Amino acid sequence: MSQVFKRGSAAVESNLTPMIDVTFLLIIFFVLVSRIVDIERVDLALPQPEDPASMKVGDEPRAVINIMPGPDGGAEAYRLGTRSYAPDEAGLEAMVGRLAEQYRANPDLHVTLRADHRTEYRAIAPAMQAVSRAASRSGRDDALARLNLAIMRDERGGGGAP
Amino acid sequence: MSHETSGRPPAGGQEIIHHVPRRVKRGRPRPRLSLNATAMIDVVFLLLVYFLVATNFRMGEEVYRLDLPERGAAVEADPFQLDESPLRVRVISTGEQRGTYRLSLEEPFPTPASFDDLFHFLQQRQRTPGSGGGLFTPDHPIIIDPSPQTRWEHAMGAFNAAARARYTNITFSEGGSG
Repeated sequence: MSQVFKRGSAAVESNLTPMIDVTFLLIIFFVLVSRIVDIERVDLALPQPEDPASMKVGDEPRAVINIMPGPDGGAEAYRLGTRSYAPDEAGLEAMVGRLAEQYRANPDLHVTLRADHRTEYRAIAPAMQAVSRAASRSGRDDALARLNLAIMRDERGGGGAP
Repeated sequence: MSHETSGRPPAGGQEIIHHVPRRVKRGRPRPRLSLNATAMIDVVFLLLVYFLVATNFRMGEEVYRLDLPERGAAVEADPFQLDESPLRVRVISTGEQRGTYRLSLEEPFPTPASFDDLFHFLQQRQRTPGSGGGLFTPDHPIIIDPSPQTRWEHAMGAFNAAARARYTNITFSEGGSG
Protein backbone atom coordinates (compact mmCIF):
# COMPACT_ATOMS: atom_id res chain seq x y z
CA MET A 1 0.00 0.00 0.00
CA SER A 2 2.79 2.38 0.86
CA GLN A 3 4.08 2.05 -2.70
CA VAL A 4 0.72 3.19 -4.05
CA PHE A 5 0.65 6.34 -1.94
CA LYS A 6 4.20 7.18 -2.90
CA ARG A 7 3.21 7.33 -6.53
CA GLY A 8 0.46 9.88 -5.82
CA SER A 9 -2.86 10.23 -7.58
CA ALA A 10 -3.00 9.32 -11.27
CA ALA A 11 -2.88 12.39 -13.54
CA VAL A 12 -5.70 12.47 -16.13
CA GLU A 13 -4.33 13.94 -19.33
CA SER A 14 -5.94 14.27 -22.73
CA ASN A 15 -3.94 14.51 -25.90
CA LEU A 16 -5.00 17.81 -27.42
CA THR A 17 -2.92 17.55 -30.57
CA PRO A 18 -5.54 15.96 -32.88
CA MET A 19 -8.21 18.39 -31.71
CA ILE A 20 -5.99 21.39 -32.40
CA ASP A 21 -5.09 19.92 -35.80
CA VAL A 22 -8.74 19.51 -36.76
CA THR A 23 -9.68 22.96 -35.43
CA PHE A 24 -6.93 24.64 -37.42
CA LEU A 25 -7.99 22.77 -40.54
CA LEU A 26 -11.56 24.02 -40.05
CA ILE A 27 -10.36 27.58 -39.57
CA ILE A 28 -8.23 27.45 -42.71
CA PHE A 29 -11.22 26.04 -44.62
CA PHE A 30 -13.55 28.81 -43.46
CA VAL A 31 -10.97 31.54 -44.09
CA LEU A 32 -10.41 30.32 -47.65
CA VAL A 33 -14.14 29.88 -48.36
CA SER A 34 -15.00 33.32 -47.03
CA ARG A 35 -12.21 34.90 -49.10
CA ILE A 36 -13.41 33.18 -52.28
CA VAL A 37 -16.97 34.20 -51.50
CA ASP A 38 -15.86 37.80 -50.85
CA ILE A 39 -14.18 37.99 -54.25
CA GLU A 40 -17.36 36.90 -56.01
CA ARG A 41 -19.91 38.47 -53.73
CA VAL A 42 -19.29 42.15 -53.46
CA ASP A 43 -21.31 43.77 -50.73
CA LEU A 44 -24.43 44.90 -52.64
CA ALA A 45 -28.00 45.46 -51.49
CA LEU A 46 -29.65 42.98 -53.84
CA PRO A 47 -33.37 43.21 -54.69
CA GLN A 48 -35.68 41.43 -52.25
CA PRO A 49 -38.92 40.60 -54.08
CA GLU A 50 -41.85 39.40 -52.03
CA ASP A 51 -42.60 35.66 -52.23
CA PRO A 52 -39.63 34.98 -54.49
CA ALA A 53 -39.86 32.05 -56.90
CA SER A 54 -36.09 31.84 -57.03
CA MET A 55 -33.88 28.81 -56.52
CA LYS A 56 -30.61 27.97 -54.81
CA VAL A 57 -27.40 28.44 -56.73
CA GLY A 58 -26.44 25.15 -58.39
CA ASP A 59 -23.06 23.46 -58.62
CA GLU A 60 -22.58 24.34 -62.28
CA PRO A 61 -19.46 26.27 -63.35
CA ARG A 62 -20.15 29.95 -63.05
CA ALA A 63 -18.76 33.41 -63.49
CA VAL A 64 -20.04 36.35 -61.48
CA ILE A 65 -20.59 39.87 -62.83
CA ASN A 66 -21.05 42.45 -60.09
CA ILE A 67 -22.48 45.77 -61.24
CA MET A 68 -20.90 48.30 -58.92
CA PRO A 69 -23.44 51.04 -58.22
CA GLY A 70 -22.53 54.53 -59.29
CA PRO A 71 -24.17 57.90 -58.76
CA ASP A 72 -27.69 58.55 -60.05
CA GLY A 73 -28.55 54.89 -60.51
CA GLY A 74 -25.80 54.22 -63.06
CA ALA A 75 -22.91 51.79 -62.92
CA GLU A 76 -19.48 52.76 -61.63
CA ALA A 77 -17.89 49.59 -63.02
CA TYR A 78 -18.61 46.03 -64.07
CA ARG A 79 -16.59 43.53 -62.10
CA LEU A 80 -15.97 40.08 -63.52
CA GLY A 81 -14.13 38.00 -60.92
CA THR A 82 -11.37 40.26 -59.64
CA ARG A 83 -11.17 42.50 -62.71
CA SER A 84 -13.10 45.73 -63.07
CA TYR A 85 -14.26 47.13 -66.41
CA ALA A 86 -15.36 50.67 -67.12
CA PRO A 87 -19.04 51.08 -68.01
CA ASP A 88 -18.27 52.32 -71.53
CA GLU A 89 -17.99 50.65 -74.92
CA ALA A 90 -14.28 49.81 -74.52
CA GLY A 91 -14.77 48.38 -71.04
CA LEU A 92 -17.71 46.25 -72.12
CA GLU A 93 -15.78 45.02 -75.14
CA ALA A 94 -12.90 43.94 -72.89
CA MET A 95 -15.36 42.13 -70.61
CA VAL A 96 -16.97 40.37 -73.59
CA GLY A 97 -13.49 39.15 -74.65
CA ARG A 98 -12.73 37.82 -71.19
CA LEU A 99 -16.12 36.11 -70.90
CA ALA A 100 -15.76 34.60 -74.38
CA GLU A 101 -12.49 32.99 -73.21
CA GLN A 102 -14.30 31.48 -70.27
CA TYR A 103 -17.08 30.20 -72.56
CA ARG A 104 -14.47 28.59 -74.83
CA ALA A 105 -13.00 26.77 -71.83
CA ASN A 106 -16.38 25.94 -70.34
CA PRO A 107 -19.46 26.06 -72.59
CA ASP A 108 -21.73 25.13 -69.64
CA LEU A 109 -20.84 28.37 -67.91
CA HIS A 110 -23.63 30.14 -65.99
CA VAL A 111 -23.13 33.85 -65.47
CA THR A 112 -24.51 35.23 -62.23
CA LEU A 113 -25.53 38.86 -62.44
CA ARG A 114 -25.51 40.79 -59.17
CA ALA A 115 -26.80 44.35 -59.06
CA ASP A 116 -27.86 46.74 -56.34
CA HIS A 117 -31.63 47.19 -56.05
CA ARG A 118 -31.25 50.94 -56.75
CA THR A 119 -29.30 50.47 -59.98
CA GLU A 120 -31.30 51.50 -63.04
CA TYR A 121 -31.97 49.19 -65.95
CA ARG A 122 -29.89 51.33 -68.34
CA ALA A 123 -26.80 50.09 -66.44
CA ILE A 124 -27.90 46.46 -66.33
CA ALA A 125 -29.03 45.87 -69.92
CA PRO A 126 -25.46 46.33 -71.32
CA ALA A 127 -24.15 43.62 -68.98
CA MET A 128 -26.85 41.20 -70.16
CA GLN A 129 -26.04 41.98 -73.78
CA ALA A 130 -22.34 41.44 -73.04
CA VAL A 131 -23.06 37.92 -71.79
CA SER A 132 -25.07 37.17 -74.91
CA ARG A 133 -22.33 38.54 -77.17
CA ALA A 134 -19.65 36.58 -75.33
CA ALA A 135 -21.51 33.28 -75.81
CA SER A 136 -21.84 34.02 -79.54
CA ARG A 137 -18.22 35.10 -79.88
CA SER A 138 -16.83 32.02 -78.15
CA GLY A 139 -17.25 30.12 -81.41
CA ARG A 140 -18.69 27.09 -79.65
CA ASP A 141 -22.11 25.90 -80.74
CA ASP A 142 -22.85 24.45 -77.31
CA ALA A 143 -22.16 27.70 -75.46
CA LEU A 144 -25.47 29.25 -74.40
CA ALA A 145 -25.94 32.55 -72.63
CA ARG A 146 -27.31 31.24 -69.34
CA LEU A 147 -27.87 33.95 -66.81
CA ASN A 148 -28.54 33.75 -63.09
CA LEU A 149 -30.15 36.87 -61.65
CA ALA A 150 -29.21 37.17 -58.01
CA ILE A 151 -31.66 38.32 -55.35
CA MET A 152 -31.68 38.21 -51.58
CA ARG A 153 -34.38 36.02 -50.12
CA ASP A 154 -35.93 37.87 -47.23
CA GLU A 155 -36.54 35.19 -44.60
CA ARG A 156 -38.62 37.56 -42.49
CA GLY A 157 -41.20 37.89 -45.27
CA GLY A 158 -40.97 41.34 -46.77
CA GLY A 159 -39.63 44.60 -45.43
CA GLY A 160 -36.52 44.67 -47.59
CA ALA A 161 -34.31 47.55 -48.51
CA PRO A 162 -36.05 50.92 -48.83
CA MET B 1 35.35 -0.35 -24.70
CA SER B 2 35.60 0.56 -21.06
CA HIS B 3 35.61 4.03 -19.53
CA GLU B 4 37.03 2.86 -16.26
CA THR B 5 40.55 3.98 -15.44
CA SER B 6 42.92 2.81 -12.77
CA GLY B 7 43.76 5.10 -9.86
CA ARG B 8 47.47 5.09 -10.65
CA PRO B 9 49.02 7.71 -12.93
CA PRO B 10 50.52 6.33 -16.09
CA ALA B 11 54.18 5.87 -16.54
CA GLY B 12 54.69 9.16 -18.44
CA GLY B 13 53.30 11.20 -15.53
CA GLN B 14 50.48 12.78 -17.64
CA GLU B 15 47.17 13.51 -15.95
CA ILE B 16 44.22 11.51 -17.18
CA ILE B 17 40.96 13.36 -17.90
CA HIS B 18 38.11 11.20 -16.76
CA HIS B 19 35.30 10.84 -19.24
CA VAL B 20 31.76 10.72 -17.81
CA PRO B 21 29.73 8.27 -19.85
CA ARG B 22 26.35 9.35 -21.33
CA ARG B 23 24.50 6.70 -19.45
CA VAL B 24 25.32 8.50 -16.24
CA LYS B 25 24.11 11.86 -17.61
CA ARG B 26 20.79 10.36 -18.74
CA GLY B 27 20.01 9.21 -15.27
CA ARG B 28 19.73 12.75 -13.92
CA PRO B 29 16.21 14.26 -13.72
CA ARG B 30 15.74 16.81 -16.49
CA PRO B 31 13.50 19.89 -16.17
CA ARG B 32 10.15 19.11 -17.90
CA LEU B 33 9.11 21.52 -20.67
CA SER B 34 5.37 21.97 -20.96
CA LEU B 35 3.26 24.29 -23.12
CA ASN B 36 0.05 25.74 -21.77
CA ALA B 37 -2.27 25.37 -24.73
CA THR B 38 -5.41 26.71 -23.04
CA ALA B 39 -5.07 30.29 -24.28
CA MET B 40 -4.35 29.13 -27.81
CA ILE B 41 -7.37 26.83 -27.84
CA ASP B 42 -9.53 29.70 -26.59
CA VAL B 43 -8.45 31.93 -29.46
CA VAL B 44 -8.77 29.14 -32.00
CA PHE B 45 -12.33 28.36 -30.92
CA LEU B 46 -13.24 32.04 -31.00
CA LEU B 47 -11.98 32.24 -34.60
CA LEU B 48 -13.87 29.09 -35.51
CA VAL B 49 -17.13 30.38 -34.06
CA TYR B 50 -16.62 33.74 -35.82
CA PHE B 51 -16.18 32.14 -39.24
CA LEU B 52 -19.10 29.78 -38.73
CA VAL B 53 -21.40 32.68 -37.85
CA ALA B 54 -20.06 34.98 -40.58
CA THR B 55 -20.59 32.29 -43.21
CA ASN B 56 -24.18 31.73 -42.14
CA PHE B 57 -25.04 35.40 -42.68
CA ARG B 58 -24.60 35.05 -46.43
CA MET B 59 -26.89 32.09 -46.98
CA GLY B 60 -29.97 34.02 -48.19
CA GLU B 61 -28.81 34.69 -51.74
CA GLU B 62 -30.73 32.92 -54.50
CA VAL B 63 -31.04 33.20 -58.27
CA TYR B 64 -33.52 33.18 -61.14
CA ARG B 65 -32.50 31.25 -64.23
CA LEU B 66 -32.72 33.16 -67.49
CA ASP B 67 -31.57 31.95 -70.92
CA LEU B 68 -30.72 34.85 -73.18
CA PRO B 69 -31.18 34.60 -76.95
CA GLU B 70 -27.89 34.53 -78.80
CA ARG B 71 -27.12 37.75 -80.58
CA GLY B 72 -26.04 37.33 -84.14
CA ALA B 73 -26.79 33.62 -84.22
CA ALA B 74 -28.89 32.38 -87.10
CA VAL B 75 -32.31 31.14 -86.01
CA GLU B 76 -33.95 28.44 -88.03
CA ALA B 77 -37.67 29.10 -88.21
CA ASP B 78 -40.10 26.24 -87.81
CA PRO B 79 -42.75 26.64 -90.57
CA PHE B 80 -45.34 24.78 -88.48
CA GLN B 81 -44.82 26.86 -85.38
CA LEU B 82 -47.64 29.31 -84.73
CA ASP B 83 -46.46 32.82 -84.21
CA GLU B 84 -47.01 33.60 -80.54
CA SER B 85 -46.83 37.30 -79.95
CA PRO B 86 -45.10 37.84 -76.62
CA LEU B 87 -46.80 39.44 -73.68
CA ARG B 88 -44.93 42.63 -72.91
CA VAL B 89 -44.94 43.86 -69.31
CA ARG B 90 -43.82 47.47 -69.00
CA VAL B 91 -42.33 48.57 -65.67
CA ILE B 92 -41.60 52.17 -64.72
CA SER B 93 -40.20 53.40 -61.42
CA THR B 94 -42.05 56.46 -60.17
CA GLY B 95 -40.03 57.05 -57.03
CA GLU B 96 -37.21 55.83 -54.89
CA GLN B 97 -39.24 53.60 -52.59
CA ARG B 98 -39.95 49.92 -52.84
CA GLY B 99 -43.62 50.38 -53.73
CA THR B 100 -43.26 53.28 -56.16
CA TYR B 101 -43.65 51.74 -59.61
CA ARG B 102 -46.18 51.50 -62.41
CA LEU B 103 -46.97 48.43 -64.48
CA SER B 104 -48.77 48.22 -67.81
CA LEU B 105 -49.68 45.55 -70.32
CA GLU B 106 -50.59 45.87 -73.96
CA GLU B 107 -54.23 46.31 -74.95
CA PRO B 108 -56.73 44.74 -74.29
CA PHE B 109 -55.33 43.53 -70.99
CA PRO B 110 -56.04 45.45 -67.80
CA THR B 111 -53.35 47.42 -66.03
CA PRO B 112 -52.10 45.60 -62.94
CA ALA B 113 -51.84 47.81 -59.87
CA SER B 114 -49.09 45.79 -58.21
CA PHE B 115 -46.77 42.83 -58.70
CA ASP B 116 -49.33 40.73 -56.85
CA ASP B 117 -52.02 41.82 -59.34
CA LEU B 118 -49.73 40.90 -62.21
CA PHE B 119 -49.11 37.50 -60.65
CA HIS B 120 -52.87 36.81 -60.30
CA PHE B 121 -53.53 38.00 -63.87
CA LEU B 122 -50.84 35.71 -65.29
CA GLN B 123 -51.89 32.79 -63.14
CA GLN B 124 -55.58 33.04 -64.07
CA ARG B 125 -54.86 33.24 -67.78
CA GLN B 126 -52.47 30.33 -67.90
CA ARG B 127 -53.60 27.32 -69.88
CA THR B 128 -52.90 24.21 -67.84
CA PRO B 129 -53.20 20.63 -69.15
CA GLY B 130 -56.24 19.80 -66.96
CA SER B 131 -58.27 22.95 -67.55
CA GLY B 132 -60.01 23.91 -70.77
CA GLY B 133 -59.69 27.68 -70.45
CA GLY B 134 -56.68 29.91 -70.30
CA LEU B 135 -54.98 32.13 -72.80
CA PHE B 136 -51.28 31.56 -72.38
CA THR B 137 -49.34 28.31 -72.27
CA PRO B 138 -46.67 28.04 -69.56
CA ASP B 139 -43.98 28.59 -72.22
CA HIS B 140 -45.70 31.64 -73.70
CA PRO B 141 -43.03 34.31 -74.20
CA ILE B 142 -43.19 37.09 -71.63
CA ILE B 143 -40.95 40.11 -72.04
CA ILE B 144 -40.26 42.28 -69.03
CA ASP B 145 -39.75 45.73 -70.49
CA PRO B 146 -38.33 48.18 -67.96
CA SER B 147 -37.63 51.77 -68.97
CA PRO B 148 -33.94 52.80 -68.84
CA GLN B 149 -34.62 54.59 -65.54
CA THR B 150 -36.43 51.68 -63.90
CA ARG B 151 -34.79 50.52 -60.71
CA TRP B 152 -33.53 46.94 -60.72
CA GLU B 153 -35.72 45.96 -57.76
CA HIS B 154 -38.86 46.92 -59.71
CA ALA B 155 -37.72 45.07 -62.83
CA MET B 156 -37.02 42.02 -60.68
CA GLY B 157 -40.41 42.38 -58.99
CA ALA B 158 -42.15 42.03 -62.37
CA PHE B 159 -39.87 39.13 -63.31
CA ASN B 160 -40.68 37.42 -60.02
CA ALA B 161 -44.45 37.80 -60.59
CA ALA B 162 -44.16 35.92 -63.90
CA ALA B 163 -41.84 33.30 -62.38
CA ARG B 164 -44.23 32.78 -59.46
CA ALA B 165 -47.05 32.15 -61.96
CA ARG B 166 -44.88 29.32 -63.36
CA TYR B 167 -44.10 30.79 -66.76
CA THR B 168 -40.90 29.40 -68.19
CA ASN B 169 -40.09 31.70 -71.11
CA ILE B 170 -39.42 35.05 -69.47
CA THR B 171 -36.84 37.48 -70.82
CA PHE B 172 -35.90 41.13 -70.49
CA SER B 173 -36.14 43.63 -73.31
CA GLU B 174 -32.75 44.56 -74.75
CA GLY B 175 -32.45 48.23 -74.25
CA GLY B 176 -35.46 49.17 -72.21
CA SER B 177 -38.44 51.07 -73.54
CA GLY B 178 -38.18 54.81 -73.59
